[in-house]
Amino acid sequence: MVDEGEIIRVAKLMKIDLEDHTEHVGRVKKMLEYFDILDQIDLSSEEIVSQEKALAELRKDEFVPNDKKLIESLKNFREHYVRAPKMN
Amino acid sequence: MTKIGLEIHCQLTKLESKLFCSCKANYREFEPNHNICPVCMGLPGSLPRLNQKAVESATSIAMALSCKTPEKIAFFRKNYFYPDLPKNFQITQLNVYGDMSIGGEGYVDVEGAKIKIRRIQLEEDPGRLIYEGESERTKITLVDYNRAGTPLVEIVTDPDFENPRQVRVFLNILSDLLENLGVAEPGLEGAMRADGNVSIEGGNKVEIKNIGSFHDLEKALHFEITRQESLSERDIEIVQETRHWDDRRKITISSRSKEEDQDYRYFLENDIPWVKIDQETITSLQKNMPESISSKKERFVEKFDIAPQVADILASDKYYFDLFENAHSDSDAKDIANLITTDLMGFVDTKEKREKSKLTSQHLSDLIAAINDKTLTRTSSKTALQEIVKSGKSVKELLSEMDLGQVSDSSEIENIIMEVFEEEKQAVLDAKENPETVNYLVGKVMQKTKGKADPTKTLELIKSKLG
Amino acid sequence: MNLKTSILDYINDVKSGSFSVEEFTSATIQRIKDVDGDVHAYLSLNESAIDDARAIDKKISAGEKVGTCYGFPISIKDNICITGSKTTCASKILENFVAPYTATVVSKLQSEDAIVTGKTNLDEFAMGLTTEFSAYGPTKNPWNLKYVPGGSSGGSAASVAANECLASLGSDTGGSVRNPASFCSVVGLKPTYGLISRYGLISYANSIEQIGPVTKTVKDCGFLLNVIAGQDSNDDTTIDNANSDYLNDIEQGIEGKNIGIIKEMTSDGLSPEVSSATKNAIQDFEKLGAHCEEVSLPTIPYTVAAYYTITSTEAGSNLARYDNIRYGYDFESEGYEYNSYISKSRTKFGPEVIRRIILGGFVPSAGHAGKYFLKALKVKSKLISEANSAFEKYDYLISPTAPVQPFQFGEKIDDPVTLMLLDYNTVTANLTGKPAISVPYRVTDGLPIGMQIIGDGKSEKSLLQAAYALESKTDLPEVPL
Ligand SMILES: [Zn+2]
Repeated sequence: MVDEGEIIRVAKLMKIDLEDHTEHVGRVKKMLEYFDILDQIDLSSEEIVSQEKALAELRKDEFVPNDKKLIESLKNFREHYVRAPKMN
Repeated sequence: MTKIGLEIHCQLTKLESKLFCSCKANYREFEPNHNICPVCMGLPGSLPRLNQKAVESATSIAMALSCKTPEKIAFFRKNYFYPDLPKNFQITQLNVYGDMSIGGEGYVDVEGAKIKIRRIQLEEDPGRLIYEGESERTKITLVDYNRAGTPLVEIVTDPDFENPRQVRVFLNILSDLLENLGVAEPGLEGAMRADGNVSIEGGNKVEIKNIGSFHDLEKALHFEITRQESLSERDIEIVQETRHWDDRRKITISSRSKEEDQDYRYFLENDIPWVKIDQETITSLQKNMPESISSKKERFVEKFDIAPQVADILASDKYYFDLFENAHSDSDAKDIANLITTDLMGFVDTKEKREKSKLTSQHLSDLIAAINDKTLTRTSSKTALQEIVKSGKSVKELLSEMDLGQVSDSSEIENIIMEVFEEEKQAVLDAKENPETVNYLVGKVMQKTKGKADPTKTLELIKSKLG
Repeated sequence: MNLKTSILDYINDVKSGSFSVEEFTSATIQRIKDVDGDVHAYLSLNESAIDDARAIDKKISAGEKVGTCYGFPISIKDNICITGSKTTCASKILENFVAPYTATVVSKLQSEDAIVTGKTNLDEFAMGLTTEFSAYGPTKNPWNLKYVPGGSSGGSAASVAANECLASLGSDTGGSVRNPASFCSVVGLKPTYGLISRYGLISYANSIEQIGPVTKTVKDCGFLLNVIAGQDSNDDTTIDNANSDYLNDIEQGIEGKNIGIIKEMTSDGLSPEVSSATKNAIQDFEKLGAHCEEVSLPTIPYTVAAYYTITSTEAGSNLARYDNIRYGYDFESEGYEYNSYISKSRTKFGPEVIRRIILGGFVPSAGHAGKYFLKALKVKSKLISEANSAFEKYDYLISPTAPVQPFQFGEKIDDPVTLMLLDYNTVTANLTGKPAISVPYRVTDGLPIGMQIIGDGKSEKSLLQAAYALESKTDLPEVPL
């Protein structure tokens, strides 16, 4: 059984405000319970796989200045700094 | 027993571009947020593109630290929210599906002790936060993302250090090694940073973060050891925690954020395929790797009969090494080595002085040549070096302009000897009695000629005059 | 002028002078004005489409070199970036996001003189199967406006089906191109992972998703693939396709080919209509000279759980960047502390996105990864092995694209597990990285049914030959709109 308090705690870590949205908790719980099916399959001999690439195929080390003044199309404060909310 | 471990972060500033985009790796000369692009700003729809040379440079570091390097490397996402992280995750490395970070299981010899390197990983530096405003109330947080995505190598040691002094020696060795490899400039502000962890006999491990410089690291370690010892003496438990170095008060303080709340949800960064590093690549990196500091030192001592302490300076300081290697021939190596370590060092012992200096290795070989063919005395070389560092003038120019040329004309020297004999009558008598005191008279002649008289010839002439 | 035409016929008509690019473009825009109020396939329109058309006409009349697309109108799913235009992902959080760059696929289309009509609707951040999760209202199925068009590329499929363009680009994470293609009776392809650049596609679950073409015919799909496929220096995951020509030999047929009917996707859970259509399709494949037999991939029952575990993990991470600090909407940070500011900002996410982000925080977390995320990755590995051995024996694997026909709005949205299971037949291609295509096969009771053909990695050329063969066996009615 998935603990609802745990779902609420995780939501907070993901910066999701669940105030007045308890219906999400129930729905997430249902999905997690469906995932229990993963307990029924034998995966003991499986390895994790991924796409692979040769070192030589990677990007060459060259400086290419970004032609646009990107910061001007983003939120910026004075002197082109980005302002973040107050850190505690 | 005290155990200290380190986590060192070193930027690969010798690269042209960032780890995953083509912005400049060394961000230091840009206006705020003018070294950014959609990739390092994590704009939606952008994808990271791994820098080949960053992988090679980091692998070279691993090899230079005697690490094992894997056949495939993988990147992971470390997920956490912070305003200096444009994507709110950092692309880094981890060894969860086998050893797939740049390297591991290496070591460094520190004065006979073996410091084990647990892991080396390649990752992106975050941006920089700047706090403005005086009081807590008016304080605002500004972010400059120019640094975001700068290639960073993290080196993690085992807790093998026994005291802060050993840490200092290790860090010196490590920064010389990184500089020698030509991949990093540890002297640049913020280019090399270290966090430490400390535990004493019977106590838990305490991590110390937020340390600004190596100097502060040593202080922080000292403080932390004393703090833990005093707790231990009073039978108070040393809790496992992360503490921050308070630079102003020079103490460590417990971090407010609880570690157990952090869950980085590491998982594979699938936008970057696993990179295969074949044996051929390793061999070629090995071949192109600069000679190690210890091998340089050995070579200087054996081949040129240079004194071990002189060889040590030339081998470990890349600036002196480059000067030396470009200046010397087999026959004048020892002279050039001594010229660098006795006469030059005081003029170029800081980064600022080196940047301003106009001296080239050509100057050094020319100077030694001038000394050897006796157009310049050994004693004048220091004056000459000072001028060269300042103006960059050629040795030839200097010899004519500054009147540094050696006086080897016999009649000119004889005239000066006559003057000295006139002034130093007692000394002349002494020298006649006891030939060993003749050097006093030679010294007087050298003084009068400001060191320009050919010393051999002077001695010869004095001896013949004394009869 | 016939807006129901295919790309290939359109190009012939423009070349022969039957009509100008501008005439066709204007007619298309008129069509959008006429029907999109009902269909709601588009979120925004390209205001300069007519100018673009004139420019191409000018090139044609001047005898200059014209791109292979000859100005045919194409719509683009609104999670694919185009410089200077809004890319919203059908989310309020990106309401004002204007990308400073163009996706590789769109650049390729533009350099071959295709005309972008506009950006199409989707489930918010492509998370859904009905477009009911769009923050800007759902798209309707052109075959019956009371029914869902499928998703998440519902706007793309509907825009093609309703003749509001000749083709569209969608994205397919777990069936998001094939499912709406099936529901709207158009062709939809999910290519081999890495065949098409994802540069400029806003990531949902980047390890398995691909951009895919939505077209009226299989040949058009091949044509579009010729334009957009291939390695891209902006996407390290793209693969070399050796400049394949996907149109060449498309009529070759499938005589003597071996087809595996995927047991797990054809036994339980199919509606009677879909089941009967599938049986007919198998007969058609036999008539075309292929040999069909049942094949089992026993891991398939676990794939939906694995799929949702992997996608929510990646989504939780990919969507973390939307903190409203560097870009986003106007919301003053004064008076807020960092954590509360970004949590407040992120309330702009819609309900399904919120749920997937929470799941994405849960399943890979230190305490739960062993139970969920690592198992999901291993299910993926196991499935790949099973698929690879199946392709040693079979040229193609088949199933219906969706287990059911389109359903009415609101019918399934309240049950998360029912919704997840709609992906049952499509997620296998994403988890294995194999290409899969949905071919319109039937219209029963006025609602479409599509058949899915899965090929081995990088076998798009042969996959399209099979799709073309099946298409040639069908005779479908026209959309009643
Ligand atoms: Zn950049």
